[in-house]
Amino acid sequence: MTLKTTPSDLDLLRLMMAGGEEAFAELYRRRQGGVYRFALQMSGSPEIAEDVTQEVFIVLIRTAERYNPDRGSLSAYLYGIARNYVLRKLEQDRPYLPLTESADDGVTHPSMISDTDPLVELTRNESIKSLREAILALPAHYREVIVLCELHEMSYLEAADVVGCAVGTVRSRLHRGRALLIEKLRAARDRDHASQEVKPARCFA
Amino acid sequence: MNCHELLAVAGELVRDQLMDATQREKALEHAASCVKCSNHLSDERALTAAFQTMSRVADEQAPPRVEAAVLAAFREKHASLPSIAPQRQSRRWLYAVAAAAAVVIIAGMLAVFLTRNSDIKDKTASTESQDFKSSPLTPIPLVTPASPPEPEHVPSTVIKNEPRAGKRLKRVPQPSLATTVPDKPAEIATDFIPLMGGEFVEQMDGGQVMRVELPRSALMSFGLPMDMERATQRVKADVVVGNDGLARAIRFVR
Repeated sequence: MTLKTTPSDLDLLRLMMAGGEEAFAELYRRRQGGVYRFALQMSGSPEIAEDVTQEVFIVLIRTAERYNPDRGSLSAYLYGIARNYVLRKLEQDRPYLPLTESADDGVTHPSMISDTDPLVELTRNESIKSLREAILALPAHYREVIVLCELHEMSYLEAADVVGCAVGTVRSRLHRGRALLIEKLRAARDRDHASQEVKPARCFA
Repeated sequence: MNCHELLAVAGELVRDQLMDATQREKALEHAASCVKCSNHLSDERALTAAFQTMSRVADEQAPPRVEAAVLAAFREKHASLPSIAPQRQSRRWLYAVAAAAAVVIIAGMLAVFLTRNSDIKDKTASTESQDFKSSPLTPIPLVTPASPPEPEHVPSTVIKNEPRAGKRLKRVPQPSLATTVPDKPAEIATDFIPLMGGEFVEQMDGGQVMRVELPRSALMSFGLPMDMERATQRVKADVVVGNDGLARAIRFVR
């Protein structure tokens, strides 16, 4: 009986650098989902997510030797490339996407306003869309740590590797990002309650 | 704990990342007695639960066409390696050798010029030519003295599977022209590989052997096997340079 061990990312990378197509395919299948979802959650655009995923792996093919295992996991390295491409794409598309709203202006983005009570329904699948829109309305530097730490369950250290900042910065951005989400979702809830209170009732008497 | 302090730790509290047990107890105590903070903790919990739901149901994958595209890019890169990369490497190597040869020629001319000047001053014209003949082009230490070859852990199969038997790695008896190469009995080298249309070391009337370092990929340029994992490292080589400054042959050393 032989034990079949799963090759690590680093093993696959080495095989890939030696020309192993199977190893590259395995590495791609293992990591593309995370990269694609990260790009999608950051941009809200399947087209951008698709482009970014393709770019990330093409960069890996061309410059695999630049990866240094001492500086972080391969996964974090790929997320880091993806982050750079996403931010570049968002910068290019800035005139067309309302994603650069200031965090502190106190204005709730219309896309974050849900027809239902957001905080009550957040735990339901129907409200995921509302939360997704709320995340997309955050400034990019808060959005990326929310996506990495909350949706991709990365540690502060891993997220710091991806973003290229200190762990303390990740922690404070995460705290602020969460506070912004709650604040805005709460504002949406209050607005919704207010609209229900002033709902006119027609008298048929 | 007051409301402000609770707000600072609320996120980590609901995500079970607040490591200080005392702080956690104080936060919960405060939340139990403060309606505002209790509501805030509820909101934080709802948000965390929503994140968990969202990450659980997120199963989006890149479309299959992306995989096809990156696999095509991979094949394209690796298919182009044997035909393009060696040419580039061999050109780079030739430039390096040509530059080294040019430096040798200039240094040789300078040496001759200085020798002649000193001889004219001493008015010993008769011995001038003899001195020149008796001291052929002195190797000037243009190249860093060869350091002891690093032990390389090249698998033995790599040597056995060499495609060209003539260039099989072997222990080399010291050739007559290799007197300037440090005598290292443990040194392993290939045979000298001619660089100029069949002309080889024996047909030269003089020259020197220079120890140089080249990118490891230069091995591939001569049909020698290369360990891809060490592609970024350098490999030592001895280059036979004739008195005319042209490189005649090369051998790889480890």
